[in-house]
Amino acid sequence: MIKPEEAQRPFTVTELANEIRRSLRPLTALLVKGEVSGMKRGTAGHYNFSIQDGVSRLDAVLFADDSRRVTTLPEDGQVFIFRGRVDFFGKTGKLSFIVDQVEFDDVGKLRARLEELKRRLELEGAFDPARKRRLPFLPHNIALLTSPTGAVINDLQETIWDRYPNMGIVVYPVQVQGAGAAMSVARALRRCNDEKRADVIVLARGGGSFEEMYAFNTELVARAILDSRLPVVTALGHTSDRTVADLVGDAECRTPTEAGARVVPKKADLLTSLRERRRRLDREIAQRFSQEDDRLRSLRMRLLRWLSTLIQRPTERLAHAQADLAKLSPVHQIERREQALREQRRRLHSALTLRLQMSQARLNATRGEERIERALANRFGEQARRLQSQHQRLVALSPESVLTRGYSITRDAKSGAIIRSASEAAVEQRVTIQLGSGKLAGRIEEVSQ
Amino acid sequence: MTEDLTYEQAMDKLEETLKRMESDKLSLDEAVKAAEDAQKYFRICVQRLDEARKKIEVRAETEPTA
Repeated sequence: MIKPEEAQRPFTVTELANEIRRSLRPLTALLVKGEVSGMKRGTAGHYNFSIQDGVSRLDAVLFADDSRRVTTLPEDGQVFIFRGRVDFFGKTGKLSFIVDQVEFDDVGKLRARLEELKRRLELEGAFDPARKRRLPFLPHNIALLTSPTGAVINDLQETIWDRYPNMGIVVYPVQVQGAGAAMSVARALRRCNDEKRADVIVLARGGGSFEEMYAFNTELVARAILDSRLPVVTALGHTSDRTVADLVGDAECRTPTEAGARVVPKKADLLTSLRERRRRLDREIAQRFSQEDDRLRSLRMRLLRWLSTLIQRPTERLAHAQADLAKLSPVHQIERREQALREQRRRLHSALTLRLQMSQARLNATRGEERIERALANRFGEQARRLQSQHQRLVALSPESVLTRGYSITRDAKSGAIIRSASEAAVEQRVTIQLGSGKLAGRIEEVSQ
Repeated sequence: MTEDLTYEQAMDKLEETLKRMESDKLSLDEAVKAAEDAQKYFRICVQRLDEARKKIEVRAETEPTA
């Protein structure tokens, strides 16, 4: 039961909520130390997290405006010193610690944590030179991730345009210090990759203290650089230590000038080398063509020579074939036979003629009968003469001539046999005696030997 | 394909093509083709050097809505 004196008028919830807020007002500009957990970024750019000490727990919020001012963003598992006030939110009925500044509880601890991060990344091979992306030789556009104001961006732009007058530059303004810096840089890196307006990224700032450079030592930025498809060149100032961003970046420079020279070649140098190649190309083309011209000429000569021999052979063969064909043609065959006939006729004719001539010649030879007669006559004359002489000899040797000289031949009268010896005769034998002129008949009377 | 070449790629190709041409190992057809290619790479190089570019563009940082 609510007592009447207590119930003069009840608070509305809002009134009570406002009352609570009012009573909490003295809890302002407080410093509280605690470990962060459940760090979450809200849609309005604020951060929600819890601060705890192992016994108690406070919801905390870091508004977007404040988040840009703080040196560092709280991270889960880390102990920070938070400055802020306690507030009550009527809408959610929650009590929160509104953080307006975050400080490292212990820089030494922070450095140790940084070393731990480096070790982890090293183990992953994040610093491996082999992992690093190659810078484009001649970028189309260069993305500059830096503060839009200040000397850094001017130096970069000047160096780039000095080396390459029409090089495109895309500026991605980022917070380079404060609690929002890491997030801002990481976001810009992602945007660069998504938008693809540039093909190399220069991440630059003008150096600073360890705390000021803290964003470049966060895992958030390190991961964003590692995830970048585009090569990232860091130029974080020559006064500062090497950051994790330098270690995971693809090229590490110290000054904007150095970075500018690293990402852009000198156009004049390129033009010079290009001119040199132009000369080589022209020379090579001219040389090659004159060489080919010569070759072509000599080839043409060879071709002509070869062609003529090439044509010659088939021409000859064609002629032969034509001749062969002609030989086989009936006309030619008849012709040939006629020719053969003519030839035989001719041979026959000439043989006959020869024979005739021979006969004639022979005939002519017999026509010399006078010669024969003459020869005969001679022969006869001679024979006559020989006959005469033989006759004379015969006459001389004939018994008649012997008989005329006184000799006689006695013959057996019966047989007529010449009696050459007395022994052949006998007494009373009848004989005939032939005398030189006439004959005698007798009888042998005596034989004497 | 060729049109997508960067300056450096075109330059490498130009150099490589020139070396091939200078080696005297190419047939005439190849040499003519190589010369054409070299000219093309040369043009790309020149084009890349002189490409009119947006001089400077500032991308305003927008708060992510998600």
